[in-house]
Amino acid sequence: MTISWSNITKLLNYSNMFQQGLIVTVLLALCTVFFGFFLAFGLALMLLSDVRPLRHLEKIKTDDMERKKRLDFIARFNPVKFIASAYVQFVRCTPMLVQIFLVYYIVFGYVTLPKFTFLGFIQFERFFPAAVALALNSGGYMSAVIRGGIEGVDGGQTEAARSLGMSKGQTMFHIILPQAVKNILPAVANEFVTIIKESSVCYTIGVQDIMFNVKSVQSATFIIAEPLLMATFLYFCLCYPTSKIIEHVERRMRQSDNR
Amino acid sequence: MTTDNKALIQVRNLKKHYNYGKLKALDGVNIDINKGDVMVVIGPSGSGKSTFLRSLNLLEEPTDGSIIFDGQEIVDSKINLDAFRQRMGMVFQHFNLFPHKTILENLTLAPQIVKKAGKEETEKRALELLDRVGLKDRANAYPVQLSGGQKQRVAIVRALCMNPEVMLFDEPTSALDPEMVGEVLEVMKELAKAGMTMICVTHEMGFAREVGNRVVFMADGNIIEEGTPEDIFDHPKSARLKDFLGKVLEA
Repeated sequence: MTISWSNITKLLNYSNMFQQGLIVTVLLALCTVFFGFFLAFGLALMLLSDVRPLRHLEKIKTDDMERKKRLDFIARFNPVKFIASAYVQFVRCTPMLVQIFLVYYIVFGYVTLPKFTFLGFIQFERFFPAAVALALNSGGYMSAVIRGGIEGVDGGQTEAARSLGMSKGQTMFHIILPQAVKNILPAVANEFVTIIKESSVCYTIGVQDIMFNVKSVQSATFIIAEPLLMATFLYFCLCYPTSKIIEHVERRMRQSDNR
Repeated sequence: MTTDNKALIQVRNLKKHYNYGKLKALDGVNIDINKGDVMVVIGPSGSGKSTFLRSLNLLEEPTDGSIIFDGQEIVDSKINLDAFRQRMGMVFQHFNLFPHKTILENLTLAPQIVKKAGKEETEKRALELLDRVGLKDRANAYPVQLSGGQKQRVAIVRALCMNPEVMLFDEPTSALDPEMVGEVLEVMKELAKAGMTMICVTHEMGFAREVGNRVVFMADGNIIEEGTPEDIFDHPKSARLKDFLGKVLEA
């Protein structure tokens, strides 16, 4: 397979398709991170929750140490946390491609989506399931980041707030989250970069992203290598500047800590 | 020990065990704290002083025992913990000011969101108290811009803004440079003079002797000796206390 300049110039006739693919990819990544973030935030709160319906078992007084340990073990059970961590484990331990197929063929096999195109060329009935699947996946990963960001805030902050009489919720909202944002935002932006790349598997369910258009151009022109190079170039141009900007902002944020 | 039933805080058989009793941070502490007491808790590190203090406002959940505050049982009870904590201010070794808020916001946040007090009213009170500790001009600064001593004075004022009935001090000068210890102790002295009930874990023996009306010596999760500063410093009875005083006073 040779790469020739004439093939690349031929591709310019299809620049319109690459442009559309680019828009779909960016839009898909934005939707994913946006919805994924809310999911991740919910999951993080679930992971950090202290819902223990059997906590009264801790209070049972017994001299039998083995029994006491067993009771304490049961008392620690937190169904909310259990559900959230089961979900996160599912997302992390199954391939993204499989998750996308599950969502597209099974979940949206039952739910009929309205068929229409928006922005002139994006098919909603394919774009939406892809965004849902990616958000479900990305939310699972981001929840760990958000939980880490919240846990990363010094424990003394919670103690100070609680000792002033603030409730758990007030402490979270007024004290912890504003400080956790600094830990979380850069990671969420990085997730955006990751999703730009990972969303490339969505062409398999017919979302017209960059990769989908590569396939189309390949079959229309019988040129194999150059469209791929074009896609590589586009992905790189999306990700490299974005991650550089994030790095810069991150450094600025860290400096403001030592103001 | 007094057995006065009108004690503001009655601690009975308070225990805090870790790892199923392998580590006993508190092992059956009994004490009454009266209104207006300035009680100084001293003892070697690991003796349970801080755990004891932190149990009083339930930052540490005791394993067993009872704490009766103003006639109400607070351990394992259904009382509103947040409402109870408003009545007990706490000052920490590492200040724990909120770094994302200005000094004034640090002081007014809790009164505004917990007590639902008005902005003007809380700010007026905060500035008044700030003035008293000599930091009124730093009201709009952020905590990072203050020195350790200034931060701790702000932390004391932050607790006072909630109008607590009791103030807990957890080694308030231990994280400070030596030259800043004095300014914080000065504020605490003022507070004691004004009649605040204070419980203070500290290594400042001079402060204990001068300001405390009661000194409690703890070791191995229990109160070993308790009395007036003269009792404790001039006529120590137990060998543990004599040993401890020998070490800290010669240093």
